[in-house]
Amino acid sequence: TALGPAHNLPQSFLLKCLEQVRKIQADGTELQERLCATHKLCHPEELVLLGHSLGIPQAPLSSCSSQALQLTGCLGQLHSGLFLYQGLLRALAGVSSELASTVDLLQLDVKDFTTNIWQQMEDLGVAPAMQPTQGTMPAFTSAFQRRAGGVLVASNLQSFLERAYRVLRYLAGP
Amino acid sequence: ECGRIISLSGPVIRLGDPITASCIVNHTCSHVGPKSEILWKLGTEFQAGKQHSLPDGTQESTITLPHLNHSWALLACYLRWGDSLQILDQAELQAGYPPAIPYNLTCLMNLTTNNLTCQWEPGPSTHLSTNFTLKSFVSWDNCQTQKDSIPDCMPEDGQNHCSIPRKHLQLYQNVGVWVEAENVLGTSVSPQLCLIPSDVVKLEPPTLWGLDPSPEVTPPQPGCLKLRWESWRPSLYMDQKCELRHRPQLGEASWALVSPLRPKTFQHELCGLLPSTAYTLQMRCMRWPLPGHWSDWSPSLELTTAQR
Repeated sequence: TALGPAHNLPQSFLLKCLEQVRKIQADGTELQERLCATHKLCHPEELVLLGHSLGIPQAPLSSCSSQALQLTGCLGQLHSGLFLYQGLLRALAGVSSELASTVDLLQLDVKDFTTNIWQQMEDLGVAPAMQPTQGTMPAFTSAFQRRAGGVLVASNLQSFLERAYRVLRYLAGP
Repeated sequence: ECGRIISLSGPVIRLGDPITASCIVNHTCSHVGPKSEILWKLGTEFQAGKQHSLPDGTQESTITLPHLNHSWALLACYLRWGDSLQILDQAELQAGYPPAIPYNLTCLMNLTTNNLTCQWEPGPSTHLSTNFTLKSFVSWDNCQTQKDSIPDCMPEDGQNHCSIPRKHLQLYQNVGVWVEAENVLGTSVSPQLCLIPSDVVKLEPPTLWGLDPSPEVTPPQPGCLKLRWESWRPSLYMDQKCELRHRPQLGEASWALVSPLRPKTFQHELCGLLPSTAYTLQMRCMRWPLPGHWSDWSPSLELTTAQR
């Protein structure tokens, strides 16, 4: 059933989540801008084929769609998706010295948001008994692959965050 | 070796406490008579001690200084040898206080350095080398229990502030933080602070501009001003509220306040002012509705209202 704004999530949690999404989006934009400026990798659409061969996974948010919002499922998918992006960003380690601090900050902010979601799931009593374990990550075998992977991961993350923002905005109400 | 200071009630003692020292002169010390006088010199002042012989012929002198009032002094043991005084040994005396409890601990999250910087008041001087350590941990409750540890933050010498790097922080979880002070005379611990880093962000002031007439911007009415502002860039991801204050440049008028202003509007027409008058304007912002601190006021902007 579509769950309107009536839900048991604290408003401060939702406001913090919205702020964290905006912060991560800003970090992601910074990374995309630097990849474009430094390595001329500006168009993720040119890297779709490479993305397939690298096996960069995407994170579903099907339980968060406004037509069929399922709160527990949505929180779980948000957490799993963020956890996945933490792993993907970690796999980008060593991307390049110019980008290292940007990737580190992005990873820390994603980790903070993941923690915030997990803690709320625990408070609601809907957190799984065990924290998830990271699946296999793409193996970037060259500096170029790591940079191209960075463009794709950042782009996928931005789309993920846009969908997350919409549902959080909906839940936070006017 | 003819003689030496063999016991001291502590190389470092509490300022004002008594101090006792002994000096012995070996009977094997050549050219020295059995009853040679032992003297003490504290700083520049000679003092006699209580002298006695030990069964093996060794001479021992003991001195008790009722209260040491200097944080540092030299205590020397002399032997009267013929017409001269021979120095046998010398001890450095240090006196001070155990550290007071550090107080006024406050922390601010800096969005430029991404560090959580905490500062505190050390309390009165101990006269001794005293080390301060900023201790902290991440907590998922109100700092009753530790979720993750954070390495100790060691301030630079003589500094009463320390910065915890972003990689050790979780910006939206509680951090328990306190200060420990330690010297040879003891340790003290400040009260613990429990805070969420993102709630103690200190914003830099917004940037304020006047809006020059252009095809999109109609000239302001008499007694009105059109202005635009932008929040500090690293804080754009935060919902904020701002407030504007203004007053005529000339005269002693007090500030008039316009509040709240939401930054997302990005421009504002200020009316009800005196026509053709130069005004000084400043703005500040804070994170809102989530907790935060007011930024400082922005640099002044001088604008003049239109004529009637």
